[in-house]
Amino acid sequence: MHKHIVRLLTLVAIIAVVATTAKFSAIQDTFHQYGHYRGASVAQIAAKLPQHQGSASCQSCHKEIYAEWSSGIHQKAHKDNKVVGTVIKGGVNCEVCHNGPAGNHPSKEAMPLSVEDQVTTITHLKHTTHPANVADRNLMRDPEDMRILCTNCHEKTVGRPLRGKDKGGVPQVAVDGHGGKAQCNSCHNPHSPTINFAAIPRAPVDPITGKVLPVSAEKSGDAGAGRSVAAMCSACHGDTGVSLNPEWPNLAGQNASYLANSLKAFKAGERKNDLMSPMAAGLSDADMRNVAAYFSRNSCSVPGGDKAQAELGKAKAAAAGCVACHSSGGLRNPGKDGISGAQVWPNLAGQNAGYLALALKSFQDGSRTHAVMTGVAKTLSASDIDNLAAYYATASCK
Amino acid sequence: MTTQDTKIEKEAGDLSRRDFLGLLGKGAACAGALVGAGSALASASGGAVNALGGVGPTFQQADDQYAEAVKNPPKIPNYNWTQHKWAFGVDADLCIGCLRCVEACKMENSVQMDRNHTRTWVERYVYLEGEHHALVDSIHDIKNVVPGSNETRFKFDDRYKDGQFEGKKVEKAFFVAKLCNQCEKPSCVQVCPTGATYKSVDGPVLIDTKYCIGCQYCVQACPYGARSLNHERGTAEKCNWCYHRITKGLQPACVEVCPTGTRVFGDRMDPESPVSEFIRNNKVNVLQPAMGNYPNVFYKGIDKEVF
Repeated sequence: MHKHIVRLLTLVAIIAVVATTAKFSAIQDTFHQYGHYRGASVAQIAAKLPQHQGSASCQSCHKEIYAEWSSGIHQKAHKDNKVVGTVIKGGVNCEVCHNGPAGNHPSKEAMPLSVEDQVTTITHLKHTTHPANVADRNLMRDPEDMRILCTNCHEKTVGRPLRGKDKGGVPQVAVDGHGGKAQCNSCHNPHSPTINFAAIPRAPVDPITGKVLPVSAEKSGDAGAGRSVAAMCSACHGDTGVSLNPEWPNLAGQNASYLANSLKAFKAGERKNDLMSPMAAGLSDADMRNVAAYFSRNSCSVPGGDKAQAELGKAKAAAAGCVACHSSGGLRNPGKDGISGAQVWPNLAGQNAGYLALALKSFQDGSRTHAVMTGVAKTLSASDIDNLAAYYATASCK
Repeated sequence: MTTQDTKIEKEAGDLSRRDFLGLLGKGAACAGALVGAGSALASASGGAVNALGGVGPTFQQADDQYAEAVKNPPKIPNYNWTQHKWAFGVDADLCIGCLRCVEACKMENSVQMDRNHTRTWVERYVYLEGEHHALVDSIHDIKNVVPGSNETRFKFDDRYKDGQFEGKKVEKAFFVAKLCNQCEKPSCVQVCPTGATYKSVDGPVLIDTKYCIGCQYCVQACPYGARSLNHERGTAEKCNWCYHRITKGLQPACVEVCPTGTRVFGDRMDPESPVSEFIRNNKVNVLQPAMGNYPNVFYKGIDKEVF
């Protein structure tokens, strides 16, 4: 045989051996087991650990919050309210907003022993740090700006299905006209956002220190001690808090938290008034709590006003959304009109019409500011203001 | 033999050769057609069985390989892949475009966080007054997400202030959630040169990242645009209905976080599962049925413009 043919055949043989060896050693045993793929990869893909754990996993430690959530609209958002796996089908489960706890949540093992015991009774409002803002833990996106979180679903947007009884849909708000620049959670509890004024779970903040507090921890003033402080107020606001001039507010029967909050605002310079600012500057924190408690316990009186204007004002109060906050039942089940749902908001019933009109005008021109009221006041005309003032001045304050 | 004869014979010889070649060509064409039809029939019958929720050999799976899949299923604790046939439902009437699903998916599956890499995404179809075709707003397009938000957090920007766009009124608009359709006859599987992607017996089309070489043929082949390349891992990326979750009795992450019940998931072999009820109680459709992929994601409430 010719040499060059032998060489060629040898080369072919070597290539064949190398290729066959490569084929049998490189292709995994399980390839072609179930098809043209590596059979072992199925179990490998399935072995990955799940990140999202479902609402049920939160319940074991965060019992209070879970109860709050499960009795509220966010859990019952969907008409079926059916449990599928670990979540409520169609409900707003924990991980919809807290997107990341399963991945970032401290494990039980990682937590100090004492904390695990604490966590069963702790509520988020006892934390001085927002739970989303614990150092090195990204427990919730956008921890500070609740508006970004809530508007993911609740901002009025083209293409979102409208809310209907039999439809899914979510309440949609045009944010600018709804709460201005206020954070959603200053009125709504994110875990159970329907505002039920009859059963507000807790006062959001201490009126003096501004810290978040549960109801039980709120310091109420001493009305007896407040009486001596009130002596300096009586020249304008009357002995019991019924003012002499209709352009000055009645204080009798007003919410203590609101009164204390207002005094604090005058002292801090957030509110300005030629008469009130120097008065408040001389008061200590205890004085403010006490005098607020004193006036809040006195019985109120109704100044009265123009009946025709009051009728128009009543309609406007409903249309402009005043009742959402300044009615004991809120928007959904209006209770006593003019009696605010929360202690930090003022009662309007029985207030002087002149003062109410001045207050609304000061919100309009910016001399007084409030996250919600500034926006609301700008939607009102001059006659609206007069009508509203007349309405609340005639409303029963008991 | 005269020259004339020679000429005639020559012509005859030419003709016969031509005939022969012609015959050969026709024969080859017929044989090819037969083979083609045969294989098409084979895979069509395999697909048809599974499209109805039954169990049998999946796409490109031989009978003996299916027998092996029944006899020696993959070792997944408390799970047998021959006893499930997963399917997905999307109720577009309920979708609010909150994009919680997109974020949840990214966190669950370590998908790259930017807007261009998604396993599931949401589109908004907007019909303007007097227009015949819808504007399709996908979150992949930067103009549709809130500025500066797309690296870590996703939110649809409303560029239709007051229901207007470029002077035209919005007539109709709706959101549609998109994801891998886990087709019965997946074209991505057909083109994969390494066997890195395949149709599993219980439904999802899976990717073996160990065998994926990142050639992106599958990205090109998918008629739904459901695949992308993960530029960090260098392998193909697509939804697998959270196979690691569904094999543990959980729902896919996007279904868990969907606050409106738009996304429905379940086992078609269980007539009481959410997806079986969804398909039974609604008039559902699949995307691009003419492509012949037999998708397993069923849509309710979409227009024919949605593809």
